[in-house]
Amino acid sequence: MNRLLNYIRESLARRLSLWITMMAALIFIVTLGYMFSASRKAVRNESIAHATELLNSTALRVNAMLEKVKIATDNIDWLVARHLDGPDSMFVYSRRILINNPDLKGCSISFEPYYFKEKGQYFSAYSLNENGVITTEEQGSNTYQYFYMDWYLQAKLRQAPCWTEPYNDYQEQVLSSTETIMSYCKPLYDPKDSTFVGVMSTDLALSWLSQTISAVKPYPNSYSIMLGRGGTYFVHPDSTKLSLQTIFTETLEKPNPQLTALGKAMTNGEEGMMELPIDGVDSYVFYKPLGDTGWSTAIICPESDIFGGFIKYQRVVWIIIAIGLLLMMTVLSKILERQLKPLGRLAYQAETIAGGKFDETLPTTTRFDEIGKLNQSFSNMQKSLVKYIEELTITTANKERIEGELRIAREIQMGMVPRLFPAFPERDDIDLYASMTPAKEVGGDLYDFFIQHNKMYFCIGDVSGKGVPASLFMAVTRNLFRVVAQQELPPAEIARQINDTLSEDNEQGMFVTMFIGILDLQTGKLDFCNCGHNPPVIDGKFMEMEPNTPLGLFGGIDFIGETIDDIEDSMMLLYTDGLNEAENVEHEQFGDDRLLDYMAQNTSTAKTTILTIQKMVAAFVGEAEPSDDLTMLCLKLKEINK
Amino acid sequence: MKKLLHNRFVNVIALIVVLCLLGCQGKKAEGTDNVTVDALTQADDIVKLPDSKDNTIVFTPQWTPQAQFAGYYVAKELGMYDQYGLDVKIEHPTSTYSAIDRIRSNQSHATTLQLLQAMEIIDNGIPMVNILQTSMNNALAIVAKEGNNPLNMKSKRVGIWSAGFDQLPICMNIKENLGLEWVRIASNVNLFLSGDLDAITVMTYNEYYQLVQAGVEITDENLFRFDNSDYNIQEDGVYVTRDYYLKHQMQSKAFAAASKKGWEWTAAHPEEALDIVMKYVNEYHIATNRIMQRLMLEEIIKLQKDHETGKQEFKLKREMVEKASELMHEYGLLANEVSYEEIMP
Repeated sequence: MNRLLNYIRESLARRLSLWITMMAALIFIVTLGYMFSASRKAVRNESIAHATELLNSTALRVNAMLEKVKIATDNIDWLVARHLDGPDSMFVYSRRILINNPDLKGCSISFEPYYFKEKGQYFSAYSLNENGVITTEEQGSNTYQYFYMDWYLQAKLRQAPCWTEPYNDYQEQVLSSTETIMSYCKPLYDPKDSTFVGVMSTDLALSWLSQTISAVKPYPNSYSIMLGRGGTYFVHPDSTKLSLQTIFTETLEKPNPQLTALGKAMTNGEEGMMELPIDGVDSYVFYKPLGDTGWSTAIICPESDIFGGFIKYQRVVWIIIAIGLLLMMTVLSKILERQLKPLGRLAYQAETIAGGKFDETLPTTTRFDEIGKLNQSFSNMQKSLVKYIEELTITTANKERIEGELRIAREIQMGMVPRLFPAFPERDDIDLYASMTPAKEVGGDLYDFFIQHNKMYFCIGDVSGKGVPASLFMAVTRNLFRVVAQQELPPAEIARQINDTLSEDNEQGMFVTMFIGILDLQTGKLDFCNCGHNPPVIDGKFMEMEPNTPLGLFGGIDFIGETIDDIEDSMMLLYTDGLNEAENVEHEQFGDDRLLDYMAQNTSTAKTTILTIQKMVAAFVGEAEPSDDLTMLCLKLKEINK
Repeated sequence: MKKLLHNRFVNVIALIVVLCLLGCQGKKAEGTDNVTVDALTQADDIVKLPDSKDNTIVFTPQWTPQAQFAGYYVAKELGMYDQYGLDVKIEHPTSTYSAIDRIRSNQSHATTLQLLQAMEIIDNGIPMVNILQTSMNNALAIVAKEGNNPLNMKSKRVGIWSAGFDQLPICMNIKENLGLEWVRIASNVNLFLSGDLDAITVMTYNEYYQLVQAGVEITDENLFRFDNSDYNIQEDGVYVTRDYYLKHQMQSKAFAAASKKGWEWTAAHPEEALDIVMKYVNEYHIATNRIMQRLMLEEIIKLQKDHETGKQEFKLKREMVEKASELMHEYGLLANEVSYEEIMP
């Protein structure tokens, strides 16, 4: 499945042709579905009309035959009524009716017990037509008490002519039909006083009815049935059901509401049509009562027969459409593939170009449709790309050269500040550590320190701006500090001289904030001058000091120096604003509080202090880019050699 | 379906096993003189009669083949009569020659009769002896047209058999002053279905199901069952003439014992028994079907079970005989009362 999907997905032509075919299929399904539904209704209506017509004509034929029996009986019964005084004449009448109507099976003229005194309890004149031979006999005995028979009692009780259920009247050693018969029974009354005297019964063989009804076969697998009043099958192609089962029999063990409903409708003498499975086959059943007999006939047509032709036609149409759609999809796919071929070539070329072969020649085309335009655009894009790549190559080479130079500059710059710690291994009283981390390759921060005549000269500074200009200004400033400080001047004077030098020809207006300090290692006295720099932290607090302007802005100005008498055992941290203004991704600053909190509790060495603060800053900044150079210098005078 | 097949398979196997056992038993019995009792017959308390021409019994049930007589067909087909050394021939009556006619003319030795029928016959001077009582309940019922109460149909036409089985309804009609108008009919339900009768007397194992099979809706409203009333009088039993009994006591007892076994086996194996019934039904071309015969058999077995014990008791109750005799005598169906002793051996 996945392979098929991938096969479709990898080709635009296939996808397009599939979509178009699917749309076409949808239209076909909707249209033909509607058409077939309407056609099915038409076929169904036609079948109903056809079957109903057949059923009606069958019922007419049966009724005509039944009517014939009635007429034959009516033609004789008046004679019987006129000759109630002559029992022997009854033999003549029962015989005559069969002679006049060869279709009839038998006829009996039977009387109430002891009606004819001379004949005793039983008197029934019976004639039977057996293959054209008519035999007449007197019937009735202790073993054949005819007046308890249905055919006698029904007419007697009803006091009107009626038809019996088909029945088997065969009796050994007595003249009787071996066939199943049904009888038209008419009560006989004495014309003098209208008293009931007996019954005239005319018999018809069920086989005649069976043949007439069974012959009705509108479809190859359809068949007809006839039910008696109690739903008994009297006509059915399955002979094991004849006279033995009713339409309800199988529902006694396996309830079948549809079959029960059909049975009820038929035994109630209704006319109509039902759709239900008969013996597991979906069928249409058309039923109709047979006159006033109480019997009902039905034609059972399997649905597959009624719709057989239609379903075949429907299948052929669906197959044609399916093949057509497949063909359409294939042809469409080929056409689209051909039309989209330049796109494929273009895709290949683009891939080649993407692989680095920028000079790959694009296919030429004479087309001026969308694909032609795309080809042209792609060609233009390729030219632009080639040009851009050339420029990029040069730029990249230049950048690499500059970066190389900057790396060297960085090394030089880093070499300008003392980086070897412990800086004074011969002295145990000085705990000093410093670090400088430029935000870019080179930075504008600086620090420096040296000892001369038992005094330590040190400074920390931050040049305005970043990068190369700041680094050059830093280099100048650091050199100036070394040169001026070695003259053993006080910090304010050092600041003044550096300021004067820097402010000369300072067209760029650059400046540097700076803290300059001189620590007397013998007394612990600290002289310092702060030129616009962040106040150092000493003993966990910011130092309080006079403000001075940064160096390099204005020449010829004086600076105020200050003194702290003794900073023995005090830890002093000098830093640039890269520390307290370090920002995280949310643009929050590291801030003074964190710094002071840490420094207030800090009792570790200068190196540990700086490395810890570096870690704190790194953790605070996280993924954010460094915004400024970070420089720190930590100093503690532990022991004074006074 | 699978379960059904499985059940049938198990039943067929059970039938084969029983037949094999009986066959083995028969073989063992061969060549033995006088009364031979083998292991199986000992366990079942079967005593084989000594060989005699008197061991031939012609048995005629009171009606054409149907599940009502399943136990006798089973006893015959499974060799239960043979086990007792009996040679039983089952010969059915015809429409022109009834079972009692055959008894009278000595063509049959044993028949089935309803208790009230037997009492009438005894009252008419033919002493009959009950050698096995199968029914413990009355199977009569009256079914009225839908929406009618069978006991509230004064002057309405109610069909009743011309061939008999009418004693109890007639007594009840008089005693309860129901005012039903009896119409004697042949043995089917057609006149009720055609609407020419307002109600019909039925046997709950026979005509009742013919009505159901004809789509008639039968509810508690339009049905009256005698077994749910004070008229629950026992019915079918096996009878021989007293004369025959006195001369053939061993044979009569053996026939009763084997028949009883036949009924017990039938109750335990209804589907296999039904196979045997259908063999007889088809042989005699009876207009019925397996479903109807199954329903009939179920009802017959139900009627054979005593209301109190829930078991097949095979026992004629003295109080039943006394009640029936009193009832029939009171309403003129018996000239003289018939005692329990007159019926029993």
